[in-house]
Amino acid sequence: MSHTALFEHFDRHAGGVDLKGGSTHYCPGCGHGLAHKYIGEAIVDLGIEDRTVMVSPVGCAVFLFYYFNTANTQAAHGRAPAVALGHKLAHPESIVISYQGDGDLASIGLAEIIHAAQLGLPISVIFINNTIYGMTGGQMAPTTLMGQPSTTAPQGRTAMQGQPMKVAEMIAGLDGVVYVERTALFDQRNRKKTQKAIKKAIRLQMEGRGFSLVEVLSECPVHWKMTPEESEEHVKNTVAEAFPLGVVKDEEREPWIAPLAPKFDAESMVSALGATDEKPPRFCNEFPSHLDPVDISIKFAGAGGDGAQTAAILLTQAAINEGFDATDIPSYGPESRGGTSYADVHVAKDEVLSPAAPTPHVLLAFNAPSLEKFASSVAENGIVIYDSSVISAPPDFPAGVKVYGVPCGDVAVKLGNKVVKNIVALGALQEATQLLADESILTVLRSVLKPKPELIEINEKAYAEGVRHVREGSPSLV
Amino acid sequence: MAKYSAITLDRELCKSCGRCIASCNKHAIAIGSETNQRSGMIPYEIDYELCNHCGLCMTACPEPWAITEGGYDLENPAARIRPAKPAAIQVRRIPLPDLEPLVLKGNHASAVGALLAGCRHVFGYPITPSTEGAEYLARVLPSLEGVFMQSCSEVATVNHMYGAGGAGVPTMTFTSSPGFTLMLEGISYMIGAELPGVFINVMRPGPGLGYIGPEQSDIKLCARGLGHGNTHAIVLAPSSPQEMLDLTMLAFELSFKYRNPVVVAADGYLGQITGRVTLPAEMVEPGLPDWAVRGDAEHKNNLNSSILQDWVELEKHNEHISGKYRAMERDEQLSSEFHTDDAELLIVACNIPARMAKAAVEALRREGHKVGLFQPLTIWPFPIDALAKLLERVDHILVVEASDGQLEDEMRLALNKADIAGIRFDHLRHMGGILPDDAEIVRTTHSIMGVPA
Repeated sequence: MSHTALFEHFDRHAGGVDLKGGSTHYCPGCGHGLAHKYIGEAIVDLGIEDRTVMVSPVGCAVFLFYYFNTANTQAAHGRAPAVALGHKLAHPESIVISYQGDGDLASIGLAEIIHAAQLGLPISVIFINNTIYGMTGGQMAPTTLMGQPSTTAPQGRTAMQGQPMKVAEMIAGLDGVVYVERTALFDQRNRKKTQKAIKKAIRLQMEGRGFSLVEVLSECPVHWKMTPEESEEHVKNTVAEAFPLGVVKDEEREPWIAPLAPKFDAESMVSALGATDEKPPRFCNEFPSHLDPVDISIKFAGAGGDGAQTAAILLTQAAINEGFDATDIPSYGPESRGGTSYADVHVAKDEVLSPAAPTPHVLLAFNAPSLEKFASSVAENGIVIYDSSVISAPPDFPAGVKVYGVPCGDVAVKLGNKVVKNIVALGALQEATQLLADESILTVLRSVLKPKPELIEINEKAYAEGVRHVREGSPSLV
Repeated sequence: MAKYSAITLDRELCKSCGRCIASCNKHAIAIGSETNQRSGMIPYEIDYELCNHCGLCMTACPEPWAITEGGYDLENPAARIRPAKPAAIQVRRIPLPDLEPLVLKGNHASAVGALLAGCRHVFGYPITPSTEGAEYLARVLPSLEGVFMQSCSEVATVNHMYGAGGAGVPTMTFTSSPGFTLMLEGISYMIGAELPGVFINVMRPGPGLGYIGPEQSDIKLCARGLGHGNTHAIVLAPSSPQEMLDLTMLAFELSFKYRNPVVVAADGYLGQITGRVTLPAEMVEPGLPDWAVRGDAEHKNNLNSSILQDWVELEKHNEHISGKYRAMERDEQLSSEFHTDDAELLIVACNIPARMAKAAVEALRREGHKVGLFQPLTIWPFPIDALAKLLERVDHILVVEASDGQLEDEMRLALNKADIAGIRFDHLRHMGGILPDDAEIVRTTHSIMGVPA
């Protein structure tokens, strides 16, 4: 027997019973069988019978796995390169060969092949171009020649159906590609070239150099309505005129892909998650039930860039460190800077139930529209802190609400960085509400700023200023 | 050039295409005169007087075994020895130290759950409001030598997952409703080929582009519309960052247990909400299933495929898949309950509306109303067994949901199949990103219970 990675008996072909056990499902004169044979020989020549994963397309080669004595996977129409990449990334030692026809690759699967080629991960694509849809019965393909009749362009392809797509040239123009060659099967010389090209495309993958593709011009006598012999002549004289044969790209590239060894040890995991077994220090003796017996809600409202979101998340973290439950749910406007930016925070003794804050105990507003919008929703006996550097005329508030105007923005500018106005506000919020303890918030702040220690001082000052303003000023009681 | 000892043309396998004739420099091959009784073809014949055993005809023949050196024997496939399956490598559970709770956004919590479940292969395409999950993993995976790949589309994403999941590794994606729709084809293929994979669908309003707020817009899609054909997947419905983590971990386990995709259906609110997340006592080192398709000697006989040419075989395959669905329905129902013991009205809600409903139940209980919450944690299979038990006593349900009755439809179908009738249904629904809030649930409850305003 000649050496090949094809099965000696095609047991998957209708159970391998009778003649099906020894013959392919391809029509007489079809080129697929030759491409299969050449891949099968290359796999053995390269010694990768036990390393290869073949990816079957949808189209005439859908049953590729009947024939290849390798690991096999059958992909959805057009998606073979995407499936191949999944295999390659999951097990980079696998030699992954994606096999596709022209409808599969050049029509429905164009996005997948282009991006796989541009990505350049070493996989090998064998692309069979017979200028027609075979499996579905002779419809026009992206590669169908001008004038060529098909069941969906019975008068022959015209300009109305566009020009035939030159896949090899298109793929060769992409950066991840190391090797592209177009070959044919119509005579011995071209068959030899195809054999060599297929072997090279696979070898380049073994060497880890990049993406390679071989476009094989193949015969489809049945749908061309030609004899096998006429078909070979047709490729030679007509198809190869439209799709010139030869190497389109062959680039020297150093092997670049490094195998991965995913880590599954607890230490790496703990470090990756930034988790710790160290208990955070606690500064609160009890739940701040003066605000609510079990669940306190705080609304942060401003424009994008005001720092409302950061303030909200710092407070949430601080509350959780104190052993309470807390949640934070942001709601942004469509722009990330300048649009509205709200966040609802809950701090609960045991469990936050509804995380929204339609009637907040505490409202922190950074601009007039936000204050305007939420002033009337503040709970009875609630607390409002607003940035008095931008809000000169606060609206009416429900009875019993305590209101603190703190010039957060001005204070921050005076400190030399307007960005810290949210920390001024946070200091003010804590002082006005006695929700947690100063150190609860400052500890989180310092920990968040660990990567930028130079910013700790100004943030601490900003916080202290917020506290001072509330302590020294007197709230305007509504 | 006598390269080969004996060139043999098999008269039964020859398809008479004539490629060999053109290849033969010695003109030693010609069309025969008799139709072969088994193939129906008129095979070619080699004239051994002229043949120089060069083998060019072997290279020219598209049929692998029609022209060979020394001939070819068709064998009875039943008599051949089947290759043995490789031994599966079992999942390992690795203890974690006693860690402090993390403060995580829902999407991040789900990503952490994936890492703890042993997932190191993540694919995704950006879509609000799910993207933080992918971003988190893109940041963290390199330190664990894992892979995050941004695909060119959701269509490519699900097919990367088909490949990686097919190679036996835990794989996942984060997406949101419009993106999930694009993945349905691939999900159907994964179900057909029996491949695992976890889809975190952070649902948002539709139809079409809709917008980016929270909606339980895909309950119908997840429960009844996972692509073409006989498809189902377990659909988990978290309602907090903690459940995002816990249910994502569970999703991986179930996905491998059943060799089937699993969907974690979250909502836009839940993806964005930050909260306290307690880490589990153990993490997972994945095993390697015996069916994995990968390029090594042990697994080379494996095949991932959803195509079966034989109709009888295909029906059998579907019956096998349906058998898995029945097992999921029997064994994987999950729900939680809150104040249901003596409830006279059951609120049914899942995802974020369940949190609002829980707050409403607390408030109603404070007023002395006997109201309880039944929260499905699996939308498919619907946790009908637990609900049926409650309905032995209660006959009034208020369904609270952020969709136009998609959850209620699932529940009603489950009730119908369980032959449960005579239930009074009320509902509170919102869409477009608006959520039913606790005050509104309380008001609705007052109104249906006849409590004066």
